[in-house]
Parts: sequence; C-alpha cells; structure tokens
Amino acid sequence: MIKTEERLAIEELIYRSCLALDAKDFKGFLDLCDTDFRYTITTHSPEIRRDMVWLDHDRKGMETLFTNLPRHNSDHSPLTRHATVYTVNSSENEASVISALQVFRTQLDGGATELFAVGRLHDTVKLPAIKLARRVVKLETRLLGYGYHIPF
Amino acid sequence: MSKTAAQWNATPKFPTSHFVDSRIYTDEAIFSEEKEKLFKPAWFIACHESELPGAYDYRLATHPAGVPLIVIRGDDSKVRAFYNICPHRGNTILYDPSGNAKRLTCIFHQWAFDSRGNCLEISRAEQGYQDRFKKEDAALREVRCEVAFGGFVWVNVTDDAPGLREFVGGAMDILEPFMQQPMEVFHFHKARVHTNFKLWHDTNSEFYHDFLHYFNRITGMMQPGYYERKYTPFPNGHATVGSMQIQYDKYEGSKERAVGWPGMARGGWYMVDLFPGMTYNLRTSVLRIDTSVPLGPNEVLIEFRGLGLKSDTPEERAQRVFDHNMIWGPFGRNLHEDLLGVTGQGRAMRRGTDSRYVIQGREENSTIHDEVGMRHYYAEWSKRMGRRAHAPY
Repeated sequence: MIKTEERLAIEELIYRSCLALDAKDFKGFLDLCDTDFRYTITTHSPEIRRDMVWLDHDRKGMETLFTNLPRHNSDHSPLTRHATVYTVNSSENEASVISALQVFRTQLDGGATELFAVGRLHDTVKLPAIKLARRVVKLETRLLGYGYHIPF
Repeated sequence: MSKTAAQWNATPKFPTSHFVDSRIYTDEAIFSEEKEKLFKPAWFIACHESELPGAYDYRLATHPAGVPLIVIRGDDSKVRAFYNICPHRGNTILYDPSGNAKRLTCIFHQWAFDSRGNCLEISRAEQGYQDRFKKEDAALREVRCEVAFGGFVWVNVTDDAPGLREFVGGAMDILEPFMQQPMEVFHFHKARVHTNFKLWHDTNSEFYHDFLHYFNRITGMMQPGYYERKYTPFPNGHATVGSMQIQYDKYEGSKERAVGWPGMARGGWYMVDLFPGMTYNLRTSVLRIDTSVPLGPNEVLIEFRGLGLKSDTPEERAQRVFDHNMIWGPFGRNLHEDLLGVTGQGRAMRRGTDSRYVIQGREENSTIHDEVGMRHYYAEWSKRMGRRAHAPY
C-alpha cells in the first residue's frame, strides 16, 4: 500500500509536469524527469485497426525538440492541460500512475477556449526520487486540426 | 508604396495563366460545380490494400463528391466498392470505419447483402412485397474499383468515366520503379481545416513555400541539387517533382536516414500531385499519401497515410515511423506548418475579406521554385469547369 505522503508527492509531480508544459517551461519540465526519461504519444486508429506512435523521444530527443521549436513556425495559442490522477500502483523502486488528461486550447485573439484533446497519461515514476522515468500519452482524440508542435 | 483600393483590385501584371481570382476558393456555386465536374468523374484513392488484408475485411470511405462508400474484400479476394446506402430506406449500412463483415446487414430492417453486393435477405419479403419486389431487385450500387499504383484502392463513381490508366497517364511513371514491393499503412490521421481543398493541393504543388519550413531550409534549400529539382506536367492536371538528396544530418536531432527505400538513391524525394486532390510523397524512407475530401468552399478533410514496406523488420518499421513523425506526424515539424499556412489562407480569403488574386507567376525553367505546378493545375481546372480561373464569372 502506498503511503499517503508518497502518493501526494507523485500526484504533485504529475500536476507540476502539466503546469511546466502549459508555461512552456521546458527546462522546468525536464527537471521533473529522470536522466533515462522517455516520452511517447500513442493512439489507436480504428480506421486502419492499428496502434500508432505519433511521437517518441528519449530525454536527449526531448531536449533537442524543445531547442528546435523556436526556429519553427507554430501555432502560439496556449494549451491548458488538466490531469486527474486515477490510480497509483507502486513497487519498491517505481510507481505506475494512470491519469486522465484533457487538453484545452485558447485562441490568442478573443480568448475562446476549445477542448483540443483527451487521453490518458501512463506515467512511470522513479522512487524514491519522485522523477518521471516514462510518460506514454495515450490519445483518444485523433482529429487535431492543424496540429501542434509542443507535446501534451 | 502601399496600394489604394483601385490598385489592390487591378488585374495583376502577369499573363492570365499566372494568377487566379481568389473567389474560386470561396464561392459556393463554384464549389458545387467542382464536386460534379472535377470529383465525380475522377479516380480517387479510397484506401490501401493493406487495410483489407483478409476476406470480408472492409473499410469505409467518403468520396470527395460526397458519396459514402464501403470498400470490401470479397470471398474471392477481389476488392469491390459499393455505396454505403441501403437500397430500402436509404440508411447507412455499415457504421464502423473498418471491420470484417461476411454479411452487410442494415440495422434498420435487417436487409442483408454479401461482399459482392448481392442482396441475401429481405426481412418478411413475401408478406410485404409478394412477388412485386425480390432480393434480385435490391442489390447494392457498385462503383468501379481497381487496386493499382502501389496497392492503393482506387474508386470512380461515374460508370462511363475514362479508365484509371487513362486518367493517371504517365504521371506515376516516376514512382512505379519504387513501388514494386508490397507496402503497408502504418500511419493514418485526418485533419479538418478551414481552407479550400485547392489551397492544400497548391501547397503540395509548389516548393517555394520551403521558406515556411526551417527543416527544409536546412536539409534541402541550402544543399546542392535543390534548385535542379524539376516539375513535369502531365495530361489531366497531374504533375511530378524530381528528386534531390536531402541532407537530414543538417538538422539538429536528425541524422542521415538509416533506412532507405528500395531502388531509390539515399536521401531521395519524389512527389506526384494528382488532379484534383491527391499526392504521393515518397521521401527517403516513407511514402506519404494525401487525399482531400472537400467539405465546403472553406473546409477540407485531409486524410494522411504513412506507408512502409510489408517486409519491414520491427527495427526498420520503427525507424520509418520515427522519420515520418519528425516531419509529417500531427506533432511533426513540417505538417503543422503547412496546415497553419493553408488555414491562414482560408482565413484571409473567406468571403468578404476583399482578397482578390493569388499570383502564381514564378518562372524558373520549371525548377523547384517555379510555380508551373499550380499553373498546370488551374489550366486543367479551367478546362473542366468551363470557367477561367483568373476570371471565373
């Protein structure tokens, strides 16, 4: 059984990761991650009946991605990530965490907010360091309009 | 010096083949005509054969002219296409976008059909229709269907339209040598964006917009051979773009592609734009296919497929997926930029904005920044529509 303090610390890690990405504080996000961190976005296509990977990077790849993004033309509408931690299952060295994720996008002009995507975060948290070792974003939403450059 | 209203509305100082009236992207009447005159007679890629690997596997598709289709592999392995419309009360027959169905049964009154379009069962037929209407009278509407050009399933909803080979002509010759091995779809997603379908095709038909892409500027534009890539126009509005060697290692975080494509030189890149709204894009390790389904003058649903080889090892496939996602995935560097670009055009050209003309005037001996690809497209558009793209009214 996970201790309450440990669960709270894990939940705070998940929420802080959302806050950091919302703020485009990429260094802050990576500070929450283990040196062996890996990030993946997956989804399932009922059309072609296949699981798909839409993004997959190790920590170095994420660092490079964040470095390159300012050189690209991107949608600047801010995203707001809303996570709710559903389950935390821990062993001696790590915890498996499943959270619901909703991503909202707010237009810069006028401030209209729309639901952009829903999915789940499947995180592996390294213990006792409380660092993100693995994040798999399992998206339900696949229709993303013109898309986005910053990972969810 | 900025322009007055009169100057803004003045006819561009180019030959009439080198600009179009931007109302062709916004006019409802023109859009309705396009569905009839461009899309209905055209061949369209509904899916790939790898999406229908076994008997009775089916895939739904929406034809750009608006017709809902079922594409199904029959008990004889032949791929056929039918309207996804029950001949009884016009209901949708199949709802899920793909699956396996030995019987195509309409949920409404349980009329059932086989994979060859024959009606198998009419519920309580004799009691209701006596001998006035029988199963033989209730077959599905079949549309022409061929598997070709890399294993894609092509459909045509017009029975007397020219055949597929005649429609495509020599436009696929440039790619045929690279499509001799069975391929497989590993990526599929749709993007619904507020722009005209032609503007997406335009973006696939001109490389001058490489200025939009940091990735392409670094790996392509600044590399030897870039300005030698050539456009070749083909009958029926199609065009191809010749190859160069992309220098992937020039982009930080990228590297020379570890996996190539059989028969293609390392780092190669060929494109085929097919009128009125499809593109084959073979770039080094991945074949990308775009198919546009126009939803309105200022709205289009684009389907994106990524393909590798059916013979891929898990490692090769993973590399192709990575290569695809880096530039063409929904979070990729280039696709987002392209879709932003055409959405911006849709915003600037929507009705009432006083957008007047789109200039396609670059002439560079048909090389990569020449806008001949778009000019060729609009020459065909004008011919088929019976309207001049530069002066459509």
